Amino acid sequence: MSQAITAAHTSAIDALHTAYVAALDQGDMAAWAATFAVADETSYFCISAENDRRGLPLALMYDDCRGRIDDRVSFVTKVWVGTYQPYRTRHFIQRLSCESAGNNQYRVTSGFMIMMTPEGGATTILTSGEYRDLIEIQGEGDNARAVFRERRTVYDADVLPRYIVFPF
Amino acid sequence: MNAPMESFEQRWTSSPEGFRVPYEVFTDRAYYDKEQEKIFRGETWSFVGLEAELPNKGDFKATAIGDTPVIVTRDQVGQIRVFKNRCAHRGALLVREPRGNVKSFDCVYHQWSFDLTGALRGVPMRRGVRGQGGMPPEFDMANFGLDALRVESLNGVIFASFSSTVEPLLDYLGEEVVDTIQRIFNRPIRIMGDQRQYVHGNWKLYAENTRDPYHGSLLHLFHNTFGLYRATQAGVSHMDASKRHSILKVVATATPASESENKEVYKDVRSYNTDFHLQDPSILAGRKEFDDGSTLIINAIFPNLLLQQIANTLAVRQSVTYAPDAFEIVWTLFGYADDDEEMQMIRMKQSNLIGPAGLISMEDGEAVEIVQEAVVRDGKKTSLLAMGGGRAENVEHMITEAPIIGFWENYCRYLGITQVRVA
Repeated sequence: MSQAITAAHTSAIDALHTAYVAALDQGDMAAWAATFAVADETSYFCISAENDRRGLPLALMYDDCRGRIDDRVSFVTKVWVGTYQPYRTRHFIQRLSCESAGNNQYRVTSGFMIMMTPEGGATTILTSGEYRDLIEIQGEGDNARAVFRERRTVYDADVLPRYIVFPF
Repeated sequence: MNAPMESFEQRWTSSPEGFRVPYEVFTDRAYYDKEQEKIFRGETWSFVGLEAELPNKGDFKATAIGDTPVIVTRDQVGQIRVFKNRCAHRGALLVREPRGNVKSFDCVYHQWSFDLTGALRGVPMRRGVRGQGGMPPEFDMANFGLDALRVESLNGVIFASFSSTVEPLLDYLGEEVVDTIQRIFNRPIRIMGDQRQYVHGNWKLYAENTRDPYHGSLLHLFHNTFGLYRATQAGVSHMDASKRHSILKVVATATPASESENKEVYKDVRSYNTDFHLQDPSILAGRKEFDDGSTLIINAIFPNLLLQQIANTLAVRQSVTYAPDAFEIVWTLFGYADDDEEMQMIRMKQSNLIGPAGLISMEDGEAVEIVQEAVVRDGKKTSLLAMGGGRAENVEHMITEAPIIGFWENYCRYLGITQVRVA
């Protein structure tokens, strides 16, 4: 941990991770999008460890601006409605490192695991992986709030266990 | 193998109402085993990779034809070779990594070593140790090379065959498929990456799905709402002369359908939603890159390949079978080596359209799985293929299931099933 980080910032980062997990585990896509900064230069990438390791750019989800993050909400809640078997997830995350990037921003890495339960089905592991984040603290003191400027999700599964609807 | 080899239905009957496919074809192990023998290891050419995946001598990738594991490699003189991924000694998997670069293939079990042409080059303790043991004098290394497959490439697309009698690749593909491959692979490509997706369904349900222009605008809201693909567009549903392969193509037209016509065709259809708008429409802002103006080509190549151009996304999708109710789709996306930065960015944005979470492909995985779930206990019941007339004929539109019938007619031919048309 960088010595520059304050307790208020640590707690804001923890709260952000919790909000992210809570949003996805409740299937609340609007709440998921709300964990990201409103600035246009905000991104969410979800990429396989295989492509990441090979230095290849192809992502499972490539939301390179705020508008596309909002569009992903619509894809799940409007475009795909009725075409997929609903499934619930449980995310578990563990912070591995946190380094100051200046300007109230931090580079944060966390390990994650996602359990998946299709409606009427058994619970299985969807994938594990690593979040590589650029997190920004907005506001001061007790009002400090953390948001993602970039979340890069690198998932471990070489073969995804089925089709994917929700972000990781 | 407990399943009697000929337990499956030898006669399929169709009526004037349409072509019928018994559901047991998706669930019965006897069909699956026969397919491995007669299709994947029979008189066909299967896709195994792109030469761009193996740029250097000694590069290899492990993949499978049906469920037979194979190695694709580039040897010391640059020639592409394909072998069964199995040591000639005691049958162990020779290569366990999905890809890599080697000077030789060395089996981990007893260190038998094969060169890149598949020839056996080293057998530890062949002459024994301190005069003891060793291989018998009759043992000839020349008899124990790797099992090599026939290999042919077309514009960098590699196909392999277990058959020594199958026709040459170009004849197998036919003129229109060859043209489609040459159109897309018209210059060096750049691999963007792979996506792999396990589907809990039979591989032939995906073969149907990718030969089915009827579902395109009905299942996929994004296609329809944003006009990437609509039945009101000008298009063709073609097959090669043998009808094994299909080419579905949307062609540019001077007179696109009016909004009122679209509304009439798609009234009450979930997938036509004019109220839906994108916050960032740049995903649709592609670039014209083919002189013929076609914006969508779905080319299914029997038995295991789909080649696609959807807007500016170029990809191959390979099917690898595991069991009657399980297969994997391996997606490989690519652009061209000479893509400028903007073009690379267009392809990255549009890559959201396809893959296991793709805007116009996620639903196909579910379509396959819901059929598999529903037909599991009604093997003698049949599906109906009738849209467009119920015959495997080329048509200059996309309101048809004809290419699926072409697939099944060939399937029956390969497996020795007789089709009977009843009045």
